[in-house]
Amino acid sequence: MPYTIIDTCTGCGACERICPTRAITGKKKDVYRIDGDLCIECGACGRICPSAAVKDRFGRICVMVKRSQWKRPVFDRDTCMSCSMCIDACPANCLELSEAKGPKDPHGHPRLKDERACIGCGFCEAECPVGAVTMLVPVPKDESRKSKPAAEAAR
Amino acid sequence: MNRGYMGRVLMVDLTKGDFREERIPDEVYEKYLSGIGLAAYLLYDRIPAGADPLGPENILGFVSGLLTGTGSLFSGRWMVVGKSPLTGTWGDANCGGSFSPAIKRCGYDGIFFSGVSEKPVYLYIKDRKITLMDASHLWGKDAIETEEILLERHGPGARVAVIGPAGERLSLISGICNDKGRIAARSGLGAVMGSKRLKALVLDGKKRITPYDREAVHKLSRKCNRWVQFQVPLGPSIGTALIGTLLRVLPTAMAMDGMVYKMILRQWGTGGLNQMSPEWGDSPVKNWKGSNVDWPLKKSKSADPDLVKKLEFIKYHCYSCPLGCGGKCSLTGKYSETHKPEYESVLALGGLCMNEDTDSLFYLNELLNRAGMDTISAGATVAWAMECFEQGILTLDDTDGLDLRWGNTSAMIALIHKMINREGIGDILADGSRAAAKKIGRGSEKYTVHAGGQEPAMHDGRQDPGFAVHYCVEPTPGRHTLGAQLYYEMFQLWKKVRGLPKKLPFQIYHKNSKYRATEKHTLEAAACSKYMNVVNGAGLCMFGTFLGITRTPTFDWLNAATGWNKTPEEYMEIGKRIQTLKQAFNVRHGIDPRANRLSDRALGIPPQPQGANKGRTVPIEKRMEDYWRHFGWDPTTGKPTDETLAGLGLSVE
Repeated sequence: MPYTIIDTCTGCGACERICPTRAITGKKKDVYRIDGDLCIECGACGRICPSAAVKDRFGRICVMVKRSQWKRPVFDRDTCMSCSMCIDACPANCLELSEAKGPKDPHGHPRLKDERACIGCGFCEAECPVGAVTMLVPVPKDESRKSKPAAEAAR
Repeated sequence: MNRGYMGRVLMVDLTKGDFREERIPDEVYEKYLSGIGLAAYLLYDRIPAGADPLGPENILGFVSGLLTGTGSLFSGRWMVVGKSPLTGTWGDANCGGSFSPAIKRCGYDGIFFSGVSEKPVYLYIKDRKITLMDASHLWGKDAIETEEILLERHGPGARVAVIGPAGERLSLISGICNDKGRIAARSGLGAVMGSKRLKALVLDGKKRITPYDREAVHKLSRKCNRWVQFQVPLGPSIGTALIGTLLRVLPTAMAMDGMVYKMILRQWGTGGLNQMSPEWGDSPVKNWKGSNVDWPLKKSKSADPDLVKKLEFIKYHCYSCPLGCGGKCSLTGKYSETHKPEYESVLALGGLCMNEDTDSLFYLNELLNRAGMDTISAGATVAWAMECFEQGILTLDDTDGLDLRWGNTSAMIALIHKMINREGIGDILADGSRAAAKKIGRGSEKYTVHAGGQEPAMHDGRQDPGFAVHYCVEPTPGRHTLGAQLYYEMFQLWKKVRGLPKKLPFQIYHKNSKYRATEKHTLEAAACSKYMNVVNGAGLCMFGTFLGITRTPTFDWLNAATGWNKTPEEYMEIGKRIQTLKQAFNVRHGIDPRANRLSDRALGIPPQPQGANKGRTVPIEKRMEDYWRHFGWDPTTGKPTDETLAGLGLSVE
């Protein structure tokens, strides 16, 4: 069941811009619509909609979340098996493989290439078989210095 | 209901330039799985009998596997299928990288091309929008260059499969490349793509691939991953070489456990066997005429695994692979990097041609990858030309002045350049050794080593007769990825499938027992064929399955991903059905299965006078008959009988 847009849509076009599969179309100031065949249920439209006009697959109205509070993937290098399933799963192409760290760890590992491109869908987390990806709300830099790094807190 | 597969295929008619989506009923997946099985099911009816492999009637398919994208490990293999122009039989080639999930993310289990385009085109799919785009500006460019241009244009999220100049020039030993150096090389299907004037596929879909029970699949994957991550440092590579020597000297052999090979793969990649293999007679030398005596350690050290590894700057993992047997190596000279040369490439361009120059192995690997030419067949064809030169059949006049002495690296490089560009003698050799011998004549046929036109890989049937049997009996002849006695030991299928001969862990047996033709051998060979059809239907990597059926749980993954509740025996029956359908395809196209018999030399007829395989002959006639009989095919002709076809529910004319 794909996401749907209801009448409260003000036609701002924010969902259209963020949709990674270009499933959303519409005219400015008009109600937008989602092509169910293209929708991959990433939920980005629901998180970004300022007028609570997006219903998720269960028919619930999605709540807008401030973009800086969207969850982002944090990778656990020790558990990661370098299989790149997460990179393939990412609909926003915001992950990449890192360089190798020399002969001790000659494998590349995934990392967030473009933080701003991440739509917080969590597909990377869902598709990782070994649980090496955790979706976390980013901690502002000055705060993270005080407390434990996010990755450690997750463990 | 989500069952891991997408349930649709895309049919592209290149002549008309139109597309048609086709729904595939669930029953088809239950009977044939996806991948190779689905392809065999679709192409059997649709490629008309006697179709010209390079004509519009041939259909070229790109298929993903059933398990690809479901969260199972080792499931990043895609396959290209069609009627092979090299052998005239069913053709398929298998490749890794990240292309396999890309097919499914476009919403398809397979993309099939018929017809011939008027001008060069490439297929571009973005979020279900399908376009055939002009590729005139890409025609003539090498595979990696083309991929870079296409990624630049369509963004880094796209996945590309492409032919190089060899495929464009219809070289019958050309393949299809992806991920800048992986290649689906065998069966000559690059030429089919070239004949259709299809330069590339660019796929950029985002569809989700949903298994029946993702958590169950993940649970199995975690268990499998623990085995993959278990690694003992194997020390310097000379150790493997000396083990090879020991295996040669001992009168006994030992049942191999896949964990040992896994550790070799993890440390060095397939190249871990570069020196070990010629030592114990697994790799042919000097166009299958020589032996370890001609290629001793001091010569084979040109491909020392540690030496190759020194240039590796990062391991390369295909999609969903925790092992990472590939690598990327930095080079100096014309090319700055290359995918680590695989075992097959190294031995085909090294020992088979007596070439001792390490740098040339890297260079030729990259050159052939870029050209989209099969390294195995290219090496074997050069080796054959070198022997013809030695025998005086080819002279300096024939070779355009190239001195094709054994191991003459510079002449070899020049010759391969000519083969890629189809210049002079290269034009004759670009279609493989059988076609070249046919053109040259003068008794040169005697020196070709092939099965049905396909040059066999660098695994010698005189060391492991299982290889020879599969080279001869398979619907895709000359292939090393379908079975062997060694593979049977590693698959450990007897732990799950009833009625198969058991082997104890590291069981020691006399080597002579390998060269008999008993019921046990037949069961083993048939089990390998059936299982590999399941593996290729699931889109799994053969190296992953070497861990053994309990550690790499193919059947359990399939059940978890699809929600079926099939027994291992039922899956093996599916494998049998696919195998028989491929054989029926060959019969329909007028192929005489007996004609796919491997060349005498590679069967030990006459036996070698010295070396690791001294005095050994494969009892091939009986082995072939027994294998065919087991599958319910006529033991004298190799053709599936009507009862067999009916029994498997195949409605074949």
